[in-house]
Amino acid sequence: MTDNKDTIVASRRRFIRNAGTLALTAPLISRAALDTGEGVTFAGGERPLVQFPEKRKLILVHSRPPHLETPFSVFNEGVITSNDAFYVRYHLANFPTLIDVEDYRLTVRGAVKNRLSLSLDELKAIAESVEVVAVNQCSGNSRGYSKPRVFGAQLSNGAMGNAKWTGVPLRAVLQKAGVVADAAQVYFNGLDKPVLPGTPDFRKALDIEHALSAEPLLAWAMNDEDLPFLNGYPLKLIVPGYFGTYWVKHLSDIVVLDHAFKGHDAYFMNKAYRVPDNDCMCVAPGTAADKTRPISTLPVRSFITSVTAGGHLPVARRVELKGIAFDSGSSIKTVDVSIDGGRTWKAATLGENLGRFSFREWTLATTFTQKGDAILMVRASNNNAEVQPLKADWNPGGYRRHAIESTAVTIF
Amino acid sequence: MQFVKSFRFALVSTLLFTAHLVTADAKQIQLPPETAKLPESDLAGYKLATQKCTICHSVDYIQFQAPGMNQAQWTSEVAKMKHSYGAELSAAEIKSIGAYLAVVYGTAKATDSEVLMVSVVDMSAAEKAEAELDVQVLLDTNGCLGCHALDAKLLGPSFKAIAVKYKSDVQAQAMLARSIQQGGVGKWGQIPMPPIAGLSDKQAEALAAFIMAP
Repeated sequence: MTDNKDTIVASRRRFIRNAGTLALTAPLISRAALDTGEGVTFAGGERPLVQFPEKRKLILVHSRPPHLETPFSVFNEGVITSNDAFYVRYHLANFPTLIDVEDYRLTVRGAVKNRLSLSLDELKAIAESVEVVAVNQCSGNSRGYSKPRVFGAQLSNGAMGNAKWTGVPLRAVLQKAGVVADAAQVYFNGLDKPVLPGTPDFRKALDIEHALSAEPLLAWAMNDEDLPFLNGYPLKLIVPGYFGTYWVKHLSDIVVLDHAFKGHDAYFMNKAYRVPDNDCMCVAPGTAADKTRPISTLPVRSFITSVTAGGHLPVARRVELKGIAFDSGSSIKTVDVSIDGGRTWKAATLGENLGRFSFREWTLATTFTQKGDAILMVRASNNNAEVQPLKADWNPGGYRRHAIESTAVTIF
Repeated sequence: MQFVKSFRFALVSTLLFTAHLVTADAKQIQLPPETAKLPESDLAGYKLATQKCTICHSVDYIQFQAPGMNQAQWTSEVAKMKHSYGAELSAAEIKSIGAYLAVVYGTAKATDSEVLMVSVVDMSAAEKAEAELDVQVLLDTNGCLGCHALDAKLLGPSFKAIAVKYKSDVQAQAMLARSIQQGGVGKWGQIPMPPIAGLSDKQAEALAAFIMAP
């Protein structure tokens, strides 16, 4: 890592932060065509693009266990994220690299009347299959922009994706097993395991009411193909509107509990993936939270995809700005765009509605009237009366970033 | 469908990283090799980090953390690996690794007195460990059983499979002892075995003898 590069990135980020309040005197330095940091800096050098099975070249977050980020340009290709571009995130390195569906079984056990052990075909026959287009966003997406910085994967904005998932409703399987009356939670486990015996397994829990609602899905197909291996082949828990941490991969075990999920292997519910237990789920930057709760639903969020920071757009010509917006399922109400650093806003046009859990495309035709530097901003609201805040809040895990995005561009 | 997918990937990427058909309903992948290495250093924490951290994760997990973290922050992150994730680390090892990481990835300097203070090798512990040749203890404290089992393939080959493969090789035991100390990749697939660099020669030989024992 060179000091020079750091300075450039730091100054650009200061510029973005002060957008609208400071006049810029020097021209922005164009970003390299290939910037896998996308404005985030790292302790030891730049992240390479890497080739993993069934994937196009993605940004390396870490190789064991695999963690790959989607280059942001992918989100301008369409509102559905291709399987080969979809981000990958494992927590534990001990997972099988060969899965034979002949041997694969999903067990449903615990506080149920009938314990089930289902082959994939048996699972598919339990109920009519359903489809949902839903965003899977990592809890730590955009963590690299936390100020002050926090430990954890230093993600830019590419740890998210939007796909059509095909499966059976979780509740159809739970009903088949017969959930007991005093059931409280259900936990989900996949085929991935820890390397050391002292490391907690990766298991996630949903409240029984949520598990029995219409939304969670046990999916075997993603965009009409088998799940890519690294996205959870052959079966993945889909929890529309919830952060990706709940979307357990290689799902193999469903356990109904008559009490709250606890113990050593409840670590990823009870110790990790938690946010401050208050309205903003935030604390003063650099401080700890007194009380926390599990992270849950996606806050409303939007991005410009048709141009990225450091990009160039022509003056005195019609330019179509394009991007995406999403929330946890109340549906996007409005998307507003500013091309003057937040002084004035125009309503963008919303594109085709693929469902309330999906990315929603937005477009805005505009004409820049003067050359020079411009700050583009995008702000979404949803039908729960939530609007993206101007300033990012902070929490110790660097989770659920959702502030209005600013993109510094040059008009030429 | 799977065959078509597999064929396409064989065309666009190298055969190595391809998901391919094993039986009609199986999917197999081969993960690419790891390439990141920890920066070399004379600090005691370098050897420790090379041995301990890479049992559970690749070096790039550390390398791509945020810049500008200080020694206290790095030390606290290493402590988390013990207290939250069950890494086998002593209090002295945590401080030593934290100091090294803060020097190579953070704001500390190798000449800082706080760094030097925690980077000395605890001789009494080393001598104690030298005397300790109990194979069960060595297997437990070095994380061997996270990747290996007696007769089942986990992340690495089973001990029995190793013994079978090298049973007619008279050099095998010495080679195995070196492999345990220095790590390796390629003999059993592309998942590397980290060097268990903290082992003495005698400890490595004891483990090799245990593995090769009929």
